[in-house]
Amino acid sequence: MGFRTALPDENMRAVIDECESELLKVISPRYVYRAADIVRNGGEIAVSGTSLVFKGRDIAAHLKDCDRCVLMCATISDGADRLIRAYEGADMTKAFVTDCLASAAVEQVCALAEEEIRNRLSGWYFTWRFSPGYGDLPLDIQPAFLDALNAQKRIGVTVTDSMILIPRKSVTAVMGISQQEIPRGRRGCICCNMKDTCQFRIKGEHCGS
Amino acid sequence: MDLNRLLSEKEFVLLDGAMGTMLQAKGLKMGEIPEALNIEKPHLLTEIHAMYADAGADIIYANTFGANRYKLAHSGYTVQQAVSSAIANARAACRGKDTLVALDIGPIGQLLEPTGTLSFEEAYDIYKEVAVAGSDCDLVVIETMTDLYEMKAALLAVKENTDKPVICTMTFEENHRTFTGCSVRSMAVTLQGLGADVIGVNCSLGPKELYPVVEELCRWTDLPVAVKPNAGLPDPVTNEYSIDAKEFAALMSDLAALGVKFFGGCCGTDPEFIRELRSALADMKYTQRKNVIPPCCCTPANTVVIDMPRVIGERINPTGKKRFKEALLAEDIDYILGQAIEQIRAGADILDVNVGLPGIDEKAMMVKAVKAIQGIADVPLQLDSTIPDVLEAGLRVYNGKPIVNSVNGEEKSLRSVLPLVKKYGAAVVGLCLDENGIPKTAEQRFEIAKRIVSRAEEMGIRREDVYIDCLTLTASAEQEGVMETLNALERVRRELGCQTVLGVSNISFGLPSREIINHNFLMMALAKGLTLPIINPNTESMMQTVRAYKLLANFDKNSTDFIAHYGTQKPAETVKPQINVDLPYAIDNGLKGEGAKITEKLLETTDPMDIVNNILVPALDKTGADFESGKIFLPQLIQSAGAAQACFEVIKNYISRSGGSSESKGKIVLATVKGDIHDIGKNIVKVLLENYGYEVIDLGKDVDCQLVVDAAIRHKVKLVGLSALMTTTLASMEETIRLLRENKVDCKVMVGGAVLTEEYAMKIGADFYSKDAKESCDIAKLVLGK
Repeated sequence: MGFRTALPDENMRAVIDECESELLKVISPRYVYRAADIVRNGGEIAVSGTSLVFKGRDIAAHLKDCDRCVLMCATISDGADRLIRAYEGADMTKAFVTDCLASAAVEQVCALAEEEIRNRLSGWYFTWRFSPGYGDLPLDIQPAFLDALNAQKRIGVTVTDSMILIPRKSVTAVMGISQQEIPRGRRGCICCNMKDTCQFRIKGEHCGS
Repeated sequence: MDLNRLLSEKEFVLLDGAMGTMLQAKGLKMGEIPEALNIEKPHLLTEIHAMYADAGADIIYANTFGANRYKLAHSGYTVQQAVSSAIANARAACRGKDTLVALDIGPIGQLLEPTGTLSFEEAYDIYKEVAVAGSDCDLVVIETMTDLYEMKAALLAVKENTDKPVICTMTFEENHRTFTGCSVRSMAVTLQGLGADVIGVNCSLGPKELYPVVEELCRWTDLPVAVKPNAGLPDPVTNEYSIDAKEFAALMSDLAALGVKFFGGCCGTDPEFIRELRSALADMKYTQRKNVIPPCCCTPANTVVIDMPRVIGERINPTGKKRFKEALLAEDIDYILGQAIEQIRAGADILDVNVGLPGIDEKAMMVKAVKAIQGIADVPLQLDSTIPDVLEAGLRVYNGKPIVNSVNGEEKSLRSVLPLVKKYGAAVVGLCLDENGIPKTAEQRFEIAKRIVSRAEEMGIRREDVYIDCLTLTASAEQEGVMETLNALERVRRELGCQTVLGVSNISFGLPSREIINHNFLMMALAKGLTLPIINPNTESMMQTVRAYKLLANFDKNSTDFIAHYGTQKPAETVKPQINVDLPYAIDNGLKGEGAKITEKLLETTDPMDIVNNILVPALDKTGADFESGKIFLPQLIQSAGAAQACFEVIKNYISRSGGSSESKGKIVLATVKGDIHDIGKNIVKVLLENYGYEVIDLGKDVDCQLVVDAAIRHKVKLVGLSALMTTTLASMEETIRLLRENKVDCKVMVGGAVLTEEYAMKIGADFYSKDAKESCDIAKLVLGK
């Protein structure tokens, strides 16, 4: 919310608590995932059994030690969109705070999904979650990504023509998996698509991820 | 064979099983377009259909689930090609059998407004194209819908463009809701109202998990019910479904006892499942349901059952309200939304929506208001207009089952309004007046009520959906009429069994201390059987009366609701001790209520513009400076702006009451560019700019480039603000600026958004890059002065 390392005052904490409890009432977190082999074809990486093809140097580097991957999609449902819209008419502060909380919530759902995936595939090694839009992985793979997971039918996530996931607080991500240990990849600011404008970075700080 | 014969001749009707599962087993990849196979591999489709027909399916679904122009866009085939070939393949498979072929319609693949970007009207068009292309089917199935609004668009498109019967099935999760929050009962009453022939559920879960969903559905409709579940739940890693054909059939036959008529399978099922299903149902009898569906209206998530008095909020109505009229003329939808939220907070169960005002396009405004209110509020709406066209426009875009206000005993009214009520499945308010005006006696009003009810029933509108208004007359002018109204109401309730509506506030017109009269009259009416009082819920004594009545009349069991409202003393609004609360303090600390109160007090002694210039603006400047220097953070800046906004609203009301008009420092057009729907930043900017006295023309989100140009020209603005949050939508920002320049619009352009940089802003031809909301105010000052 821009507080960065500063702490919100008592007044603002009360607002945050209220927004949190309202948000929790209206969201229903859901996720879907599937594991699939990957097939390298020139510079491209195809996900077998689907029409999804990854392009770009960054995803290639991300998956370089893997011959399988797990695709996942998580959402907190359009209850959050609705609540934020309602607040926008009545109280912009709550709209803003709720928007921030909802972003954090969908990250938590991703973390939960990842935990389940890691448990189901114990014995496998994982890379971290890489999403379309990171580095040079284009956003326009979102439709194929969702189709590969049957995400509209399974958890109600769709994508607009300009590649925005709807409900808004939804995430797609891919993790590479391997039977061999994967050298820990760099997950710093450099491969973030916000690296030039990030307010944290300008101030010499870091975001939560 | 047709659907009606199937219904009467067969104990149960068997649908087919999954198509996608079968195609994937034959090598179709996830993400490939299954409808392309209709043309490329017709034999494959015919073969699968024939397996289902042989297994005993009475109806098979043609492979048209995704055959809409949106999903086919990159397939190389037209909707007509995909649909015609699909139906031909299905027909070929059924040759020599009585099996019916259904045109299968699934979701478009994009979410509708307001969460998504697809409009209701576009959705209708997309479905219309499919319906027309498939008009040689035997019946239509609309399935796997999770959004009631999209379902409505599809159902209307089918009903208006074909004469085929329609089966509508939606997809529910374990919480008995669809993904978009639609409840089973809302689905049932809405779709039955809209004229579906069969309703039901498909996909998402297995027959076991769907049992309670089907049970609820069977209680909320008297239409035949269809169930087409998955083969249990899928394993996320292996994608295998959890139950086999035998278990599936056994669980499905449990559903038969609930009164289900149509049985089939969805994802993970195959012809074996249908064969097992047929043998499991072979010796069973259809269970006839005997339901009484209560009077109700609904939104997708909220069904308001009129089993006790329900409050209809009357405030969305310009009659006698200067500020409301101004808002309508300025198309200030936020003002209307504010009125909606305030009433819901105060306890309104239903909101009346009247936007009739000379000089505005009432039809367009009704559509705009209905869409906006249902986008944020979860209470049913009562569409209020004297013009049938306006009512129809509102009914069309309403999501759920609304109330129409109103029809009356005049022949012209009955003829024009009741058909709309029937077509769109609404409830209707019937006013006890006719060609001869409002009758004096209770007896005469009762007669009109009877006539309205019988005309409604002739048209197929249930008596439960007619809410009779016996009409309140002003006590100061027609004192003897008050008891006539109440006596008529009592008879309507007792003898016709209808719900009753009454606008209450009119009773006290022209009398002092109106509130005393109003809430006492309300209590008298409730005691006589009023179930739908139309009141101002913001008046505390009115809500107190309703809540007290509900307690005393034994509706509010254990006084739960009453105690929740009045059991504890509410804590004061402010957290801070009330020392030295002045206006700058209130703004600094984001105290809305306090700020408004102090402003009201100040207005008794101070000129409104002095308050603005000497107190509010300096206070805002201070919070702006604090934000810039890092003393406060964005949420606090917004909070202060919100408090100032509340003060400005008080001042606006004051000026409007005293006949003046607020001074504007100039107009600014704001828009989130085409393709982008991340508009929260733009909305924050808007609040701040308005606080500084600029008139903001907010075009919203996903705004077409040309619309920005048109608005800038029409309003002669000197400053346009554009926002975009996605790298993918920066191109629309560039295009919008290019169009503004090309059309030689004499204005400056400021841009902002997370992915923008100053450098990029200059590259795409903007005049200013605004790094945050505060800076946009500085830019406005620079461009517009003051």
